[in-house]
Amino acid sequence: MSGMRRLNAFSYPRPALSRRRFIQGSAAVMAGLAAANCRQNLSGPPSGGGNDGTLHIYTWANYTDDGLSQAFTEKTGIPVVVDIFDSNESMLTKMQAGGGGAYSIIYPSDYMVSEMTELNLLTELDQSRITGLENLKAKWVNPAYDPNNAHSIPFCWGTTGLVYNRKASPGAPVDWDFLWENQAALARRVTLIDDMRETLGATLKSLGYSYNTNNPAEIEAAYKWLLELRPAIAAFKTTGFESELLGGDLSVSMAYSSDAIALALEDDNLEYIIPASGSSLWTDTLAIPATAPNVEAAYQWMNFILDPEVARAAVERLLFATANQAAFDRLPPDIQNNKGLYPPEEVLVKSEGIVAVDEVSTALFDKFWTQVTSA
Amino acid sequence: MAPPLAPSPPPSPPWADRLAPRRWLGPVVLLGPAGLWLLLLLVLPTLLILEISLVPGLRLGQPSGGYGLGNYLQILQPIYLRVMGRSLVFALGSTLLCLVLGFPVAYWLALMSPKRWRNLLLVGFILPLWTSSLLRAYAWITILRPSGVVNTLLTALGLPTQNWLNTSTAVFIGLAYSFLPYMVLILYASLEKLDTRLLEAAADLGATPRQGFWKITVPQTMPGIAAGCLLVFIASLGDFVVPTLLGGASSMNISRLIYNQFLGPTRAWGFGSALSMVLIFAVSLAIALLLRYGDRSTVTEAS
Repeated sequence: MSGMRRLNAFSYPRPALSRRRFIQGSAAVMAGLAAANCRQNLSGPPSGGGNDGTLHIYTWANYTDDGLSQAFTEKTGIPVVVDIFDSNESMLTKMQAGGGGAYSIIYPSDYMVSEMTELNLLTELDQSRITGLENLKAKWVNPAYDPNNAHSIPFCWGTTGLVYNRKASPGAPVDWDFLWENQAALARRVTLIDDMRETLGATLKSLGYSYNTNNPAEIEAAYKWLLELRPAIAAFKTTGFESELLGGDLSVSMAYSSDAIALALEDDNLEYIIPASGSSLWTDTLAIPATAPNVEAAYQWMNFILDPEVARAAVERLLFATANQAAFDRLPPDIQNNKGLYPPEEVLVKSEGIVAVDEVSTALFDKFWTQVTSA
Repeated sequence: MAPPLAPSPPPSPPWADRLAPRRWLGPVVLLGPAGLWLLLLLVLPTLLILEISLVPGLRLGQPSGGYGLGNYLQILQPIYLRVMGRSLVFALGSTLLCLVLGFPVAYWLALMSPKRWRNLLLVGFILPLWTSSLLRAYAWITILRPSGVVNTLLTALGLPTQNWLNTSTAVFIGLAYSFLPYMVLILYASLEKLDTRLLEAAADLGATPRQGFWKITVPQTMPGIAAGCLLVFIASLGDFVVPTLLGGASSMNISRLIYNQFLGPTRAWGFGSALSMVLIFAVSLAIALLLRYGDRSTVTEAS
């Protein structure tokens, strides 16, 4: 009898909305509200960081080192903090998703400059505050990706090519075709760059088409041609192949010139070649994001980098190809004559910069690239 | 006439008693911090991913359209199903390898090793976990590459060399190596509680050691086996490092596909979120199985 609920004058009626139901309901509502409001932030502008006098730089690995930052701090008194990214896309994602509000200087590549300009993520540079623009090489005074250098300053440039190990390779590559011709001997000893446009573009070039084609038939032909090379491909690695190439476990790697030259100088067995039918010519630039907290320090950094003496010292230490003519003139002859770093004009003329293609072609590139890497 | 029954005191309403602080204050204080942490860092982000996945074609930086299931339908293309199938194969293969390799080790540790050394041996076995999994994967590159340790050994013994790097074999080896300590730990915990008197009783009744193993040891440790297998399965389903470094050109799995969606050139966050939800669902399914079959009550009832 004690277990039964006896409804008498003293017992409370159970409320229609019980306490447990109420808590469950309100938790669900709050979760839904929170999730619904979060979506707005995806396409909103990134938040700016506080300005505490420090210059925050977002750059590629090997473009600045402690020596450079210390020299800058000694000269101007502004402390420098450097963060590294490994791809333009991850840098763009960070800037767009709101995590890049602290950076006053970023180092986008040429095609990324065009894209970010369209998205209004870069400030228009006040060229009166920049000294040393006259030092730039002729080719970069008015580049196609950024007319009149309105939003960016060219910093260094390079090509994409093949670095091979003489002792481990069935021959010396001269062109992209080498990979297809020696497929059997190169079984799982080739690495290609893990970049959609670079690798598919190289395949297009080996078939005689342009890196920036909008022709669906050409893109599909490149995809099929690349599929034929699959048995020879060990992995799609932009970096990370170095130790295997040095050890002879890989024969040929597709690499950016900035990485390959430093590697080739380490070991006499390695050599970097730019394929005869042409490759991609890329430029890395300095730019000031629209949300930069410390614009004054950013301009000082740009002037510092453009100074010929500083540029020369940086090039000698870090071995990238500079766009600064005055710095180039001061380099020692063995670096000036390095064909990989500074290829002659007849080789450069066949190379092209990668630019954005139209939406249909981008979707095709994406679809074929996914097929190639996921198969 | 009997006196009327005195009215019994009104029954205390059930929920008033639950409102008394002495009943809920203790659990709230103890569970509060962890609950808040889980809510903010697990529940809310998952809900956020779920919401993003329901916007077809959502790309970072572009205005979003309406809701729909387009992202999930996009997953049904053969290439993506293949990637998910490959992830499953990697996960199942590494789970099987870990079980086959880990059970003898755990058995020896729990039942046959000298008692004095047991803890030390256990610590020694999980010592690799103290290093970064990235470094361990790089170590395997050094071991498996054509001029690496394995091939040097094989050449010294006069056997043909193997080229396992950048193939699925290397991925299985790497995954099994990464998660073997977890399997051994869980199996050890389960085997340690094994009641050896049952084995003695079985021997007395005429069972051979093999029958004793399959009919007594395995069923008794089944919850531990289930827990270990499901833990390794969940961990290797979402592993990113080992397939990328050791797998080569044909090793794209679901984690790397998700990474490419978020940080690759297309920045298709909607599609990436849908893939993430599929992965979360698969892992939740595995955890539900774990809760179902990892129940220890079957063990206590038997004893």
